[in-house]
Amino acid sequence: MPDRAISYGELTPGYKFPPATYELDAYFVSKYRKAVDGTADGFVPPLAVTACAIAAMTKSVPLPPGTIAIHASQELEFLKPVPIGTTIECHIALAQKIARGKMSMLVLELEILDKGKEKVQSGRATIALPG
Amino acid sequence: MLTEIQEGKALGPVVRHITQEKINLYAEASGDFNPIHVDESFAARTPFGGTIAHGMLNLAYVSEMMMSAFGRSWLSGGKLRAKFKESARPGDTLTITGQVFCIEQESDVSYANCSFECRNQKNELIVTGEATVRLPSGRQ
Repeated sequence: MPDRAISYGELTPGYKFPPATYELDAYFVSKYRKAVDGTADGFVPPLAVTACAIAAMTKSVPLPPGTIAIHASQELEFLKPVPIGTTIECHIALAQKIARGKMSMLVLELEILDKGKEKVQSGRATIALPG
Repeated sequence: MLTEIQEGKALGPVVRHITQEKINLYAEASGDFNPIHVDESFAARTPFGGTIAHGMLNLAYVSEMMMSAFGRSWLSGGKLRAKFKESARPGDTLTITGQVFCIEQESDVSYANCSFECRNQKNELIVTGEATVRLPSGRQ
């Protein structure tokens, strides 16, 4: 978690949010599969791994009060299967901050590492903040 | 399964019905409690006029389709680029389909390039995008 809360106005491209850690245990995977009607295959569903990064992102990114954040686009690369029980570390950095009239957009880069610091996923999310 | 992958192959469909209960379950599982997804009275006062499903819930169904078609290759070497065009709402039935539009060879590695889309029961486009999967060597 951040040492101190950064405000939306202070966010500039290149800013790195403090990493967030999640344990992807069997209980988490079971809850996730139930939510998405997913099938079991012995690994953590890749979008469940991403969901943790997105959750970390939504908790970390300070939005102006009353703002609705809409997920506009998502790019992902899955680099290796993630076994159930893995602890992951989500790194999020602000790549772009765009203002178009009343609409603002944040482009965030995601990198997810396992305990051995090997990258398991990377991606880029675009979040639209309608004015 | 992967031996059947060829250009033009159709993927899916995966059909899922969206309910507020599923959205709430997804919020609990993912930790994303944005009120636009889970707070019906808040969402009713927004331009959306009601709650909407998480984009990542819709995308999870796309991943499910890719996993069914490509198995472990999707988990290790899969890539996707998705655009969330419209919101899915409680009561919607989503149909996710895709197609292998090209298989490329780079050095000794083959890649299946796929398109995908997710539409609701009114045929409105909810999610669209492309995915690439590295196919195992030795696949014929």
